[in-house]
Amino acid sequence: MGNEAVVMTNVCKDFKVLNRHEGLKGSLKDLFSRDYKTVSAVKDVTLTVNKGEIIGYLGPNGAGKSTTIKMMTGVLEPTSGEILVNGKVPYKNRTENCEHIGVVFGQRSQLWWSLPLIESFKLLRDLYMVPEKEYEEMIELYRSLVDIEPILHKPVRQMSLGQRTLSDILAAFLHNPAIVFLDEPTIGLDVSMKSKIRELILGLNKEKNTTVILTTHDMGDVDALCRRIVIIDKGTKIYDNDIDHLKNYFGSYRTLKLKLADDTWEEYLIDEKTTDVMDVIMEKQKEKKIKDVKILEISTEEVIRKIYEGGAK
Amino acid sequence: MRKRGLKFYSSIYRKILIQDLKSKMSYRADFIISTFGMIMTNLSGFVTFMILFHNFPVINGWDYHHMLFLYGFSLVALTPVQCFFDNNWNLRFMVQSGDFIKYCFRPVNVFFYFMSEVFDVKGLGQLAFGIGTIVYAWIKIGLPLNALVLAKLFVFLLTASLFMIALMNFAAATCFWIKNSGYVMVIMFRFKDFAKYPSSIFEGIFKVIFTFLIPIAFIAYYPSLVILSPDNVPVLSWISPLFGLVFFYLSYKFWMLGVRKYDFTGS
Amino acid sequence: MNPKRLIALTRGGIMESLYFRLGIFVTLFANLIYLVLVYYLWKAIYASSGSDVVNGMSFSDTMIYLILATAIFNFLEMFVVWDMSRSIQSGKIILDLLKPMRYRKYTFWSYTGNHVVQFFLTFVPTFIVVMIVTHGAIRMGLNLLWFIIAMIFALIINYNIEMLVAPICLFTESTWGINIVKETIVLLLSGATIPLAFFPEKARMVVQYLPFRAVYDIPLSILLEKSGSDTWLGLLKLFGLQLGWLVVLTVAGNLFWNHAVKKITVNGG
Repeated sequence: MGNEAVVMTNVCKDFKVLNRHEGLKGSLKDLFSRDYKTVSAVKDVTLTVNKGEIIGYLGPNGAGKSTTIKMMTGVLEPTSGEILVNGKVPYKNRTENCEHIGVVFGQRSQLWWSLPLIESFKLLRDLYMVPEKEYEEMIELYRSLVDIEPILHKPVRQMSLGQRTLSDILAAFLHNPAIVFLDEPTIGLDVSMKSKIRELILGLNKEKNTTVILTTHDMGDVDALCRRIVIIDKGTKIYDNDIDHLKNYFGSYRTLKLKLADDTWEEYLIDEKTTDVMDVIMEKQKEKKIKDVKILEISTEEVIRKIYEGGAK
Repeated sequence: MRKRGLKFYSSIYRKILIQDLKSKMSYRADFIISTFGMIMTNLSGFVTFMILFHNFPVINGWDYHHMLFLYGFSLVALTPVQCFFDNNWNLRFMVQSGDFIKYCFRPVNVFFYFMSEVFDVKGLGQLAFGIGTIVYAWIKIGLPLNALVLAKLFVFLLTASLFMIALMNFAAATCFWIKNSGYVMVIMFRFKDFAKYPSSIFEGIFKVIFTFLIPIAFIAYYPSLVILSPDNVPVLSWISPLFGLVFFYLSYKFWMLGVRKYDFTGS
Repeated sequence: MNPKRLIALTRGGIMESLYFRLGIFVTLFANLIYLVLVYYLWKAIYASSGSDVVNGMSFSDTMIYLILATAIFNFLEMFVVWDMSRSIQSGKIILDLLKPMRYRKYTFWSYTGNHVVQFFLTFVPTFIVVMIVTHGAIRMGLNLLWFIIAMIFALIINYNIEMLVAPICLFTESTWGINIVKETIVLLLSGATIPLAFFPEKARMVVQYLPFRAVYDIPLSILLEKSGSDTWLGLLKLFGLQLGWLVVLTVAGNLFWNHAVKKITVNGG
């Protein structure tokens, strides 16, 4: 076994969906219809994730991100293709696979709703059969990374969203899994909580060399955590490379910001290979008065948007 | 891979149970109302029973005390499903909302993990009701009392509850395929009301259906015959423990098949 | 209130019910099985009693009564208590309260579509089966019209009982308990499990005047022309009882709901 945590080869996943008709008449017709169509959620995805990597798994809503993750965790069986997680086929060895992974799925807490966090931890320790010593060490590590005292004795149902997410992430790392899947871990959180959670993920990744597969819509997460990103759209992988490579690719792009007379800013994305920034400023100056000018490098957010819109391969 | 045997599962169940009970204490109003509700359903069952016998003193050759025994037997047989498998009632909501997926991320059996989450204390009230009824009927009928009979009673009560658990597993698992399966559970739970009548009332094809397909005849009738008419026990009664195990196993497999087939698209 | 809106909600409800198609077939099938159980039980009971008519009810009367009671039960089945406690727990109730319609009205009319579907899918087929099996034991006269009117009253009364019970979840966090108490009381005292005619004299005197009877017993008595509903005066009495409870429960439901809403707005759900 090599250095790979996850290997996916030509993985496809199809769902069968009933073709629905519109209106009241259509509903009645559907009652007896056998008219199914196949929807491909994931098409021929090949992907390798190395141990200790944090990768950003990105894509617009409905692109097939969750389906991929569900296949990697062994919950869904791929229609075709092969997946190996820690060298094993996940859906064939679901329970075994679960020993070595941790999952945080959006805003759905996986902890016991009415138990204090520490009791959930103890139950998880028993479920995963974590030796007492390793468990203590992990709790110590948590203490050193984040202030867990205020939440340790609080029932999950009384926690704020941020505390709950924090708890879920800690719970996912508790059994020292080889891979942790984080599905939109910072969704709906305030700025300080976001950065706290990013620091925690980085710290745990560094200390335990845990592979982290992160899906998110927040480019702040990507900038803070990921060196490599994989982008999927309509079930197909459209990008897989270092984030720096991406920025180089779009290196000729600049964001031009112009401050107008009424103190508002206007933004333009310009490719310097085809258009000269100065030309644009001159052109604009003819139309309106410009008080200030800023030229910035392209942000990750804009790069990703460019790719979603079909800008790069 | 570390092995997870019976010892592991029973120790985990005990730990979850203790935590669950502790946290239940914090919902006192719920506990009181639910207990009250449990007493109400049992009382209402009794009232229906009394009204029936007020009008018809004998049903299908069964007199009041024998029927009462059957009734008590069915109540006790229902206790395990109420106490340990009550989370089945939440299954369809979890599946619909997509929250069910969280049970699939743990290195333990999904069925076990899901059921372990809820232990329903109020089922114990029903147990008390049932035992009281059995004891009363036992004395009135004048049944013999010795260790062997008690052992038989225990085994066959367990058998009866296996059938009930299996029925509810089947009903609950339909939610993996059918979107509004709430009614299936409701009606299955109402089928069990007929377990307290002698299933000799059924005829022809329906006798077969209610014995083997929807085995309500096994929730009380056949197992209780071992105690009620020891001289004339049908073969079906004797093999009911084995049949119960098979039926329970099938329901478990069906439940797990649902988990496998379900596409988790709930958002 | 704009009737167009109400129709739109009803239509939406119908479409939503039809959407779950497999569920509908299963419901029909499960119902059939349940009816078979009821049939055999009462057949045995009457066979054991030795007489054909007990408490003024013949076997076919009892059967028709119980079968139709089951059909009405399915037809009236509402999960208001469950739905409401779920939206309270998830905080969705706030969104519901923001809809441009009074919550009580909104819930009622969104259930109407479901009622319509259930009426045609469970009640009408059951009724037809009963007619065929009993060779037309139900008289097809004015009683049908009175029955439908009584059913509409029953529907509203049932809804009001639900709405009186459901907000209790706001105060207690006990959905299961409240629901089971409600269901047990309604089913027993309305005559859905056992016809009221079989109740002992004294119990019947009390139960007769409770609102639960208005949900199952009154419509069915009217259909079967029992309980004096074959005379104008008797009919008027039964309708009067329904109408009286309808008014009382609607007013009480309104008051209680308004009180409960205050609690939501104070606590923020």
